[in-house]
Amino acid sequence: MTPDTYTEAQLDGLRELANVGSGQASTALSQMTGRPVDVSVPHANALPVAEAVESIGPAEAVVTGVAVPVVGEMGGVVLILLRQDDADAMCRLLGVEPDDEMALSALCEIGNILGSCYLGTFATMAGVAVEPAPPQVAVDMLGALAQTVLATSAEQGDTALLLDSELAIEGVECAFSLLLVPDAEGIGRVLDGMGLAA
Amino acid sequence: MVRMGELVTSDSAGDVLVSLGLGSCIGLALLDRRRGLAGLAHVVLPASGRRERDAPGKFADLAVPALVDELAARGGVHACMEAVLVGGAQMFSFGSRDSLDVGSRNEAAVRTALAAARIPVRAAATAGAKGRTVRVHVAEGVVTVKEAGGSEGVLYGSEVMA
Repeated sequence: MTPDTYTEAQLDGLRELANVGSGQASTALSQMTGRPVDVSVPHANALPVAEAVESIGPAEAVVTGVAVPVVGEMGGVVLILLRQDDADAMCRLLGVEPDDEMALSALCEIGNILGSCYLGTFATMAGVAVEPAPPQVAVDMLGALAQTVLATSAEQGDTALLLDSELAIEGVECAFSLLLVPDAEGIGRVLDGMGLAA
Repeated sequence: MVRMGELVTSDSAGDVLVSLGLGSCIGLALLDRRRGLAGLAHVVLPASGRRERDAPGKFADLAVPALVDELAARGGVHACMEAVLVGGAQMFSFGSRDSLDVGSRNEAAVRTALAAARIPVRAAATAGAKGRTVRVHVAEGVVTVKEAGGSEGVLYGSEVMA
């Protein structure tokens, strides 16, 4: 099943999934950094592919993106987007200077851990087994990073589904967004697993 | 503004067609400079397969003929049409996951479709790992490109701007 539109009940279910998933991710991040981590109520939006980038942020803003490919019973990408200041703050929290060559691998490790925790929820709540593949980091225009990730979901239809959470580490200026762009076929399986099939 | 999968043509002198932050996507500009016509398609994927979609700019194989038709409908002459390509970068390299290495496939598909339509590619800022913004100045027939953190430069049509 590859739905092109989603009902409000389905989006609510996916929002709850993102909520629990980003909660798990924030707990792991809190343990790593020794600081409380706040999570916003996530957004679950199904919107035309053409509008998807601007819903994420300004297309030309230069950001750090950690892309975590999702493999298993659902395809997709978890994309962690940090503004430059936030990426620098994150590196320092992990004990790495932002201009150190280890900085990018530290961010990859964060992607790996947040991705695993977030995706673990899909198995427990929807019975869909997924896991993260090795992450990649790029520093570039937000639009360029987001479009590249969205291109895969564009292959399956004109609707992009975005699950978007904001995380903020208390006590330091470090906030970022955690975005899941699933493929439509996989998300159909997730909705089935949650008893929300169309 | 030409967003993912969209296609716009113009004959208005003051118009500037823009696609912001192209990654693996291709900004395909088609110009008929003699008549002050230009179009821009934001190509996302190489091939449409069998499906006809309502977003004509999305697939390389559909975007090229659609752009040629729209420019011709505005009075463009096929023999005068010129193409400029921007984008097609590889933002992330996931090895065997070639669905995310779509940039080079996009460029190849656009070039194939342009060759089939007998339209020359006059300039290209493609491949690599950098995001790019493309601007098409309709009346002047000038195409400019900007990379992340860089300044804007003229890619094609400099003699008019200078």
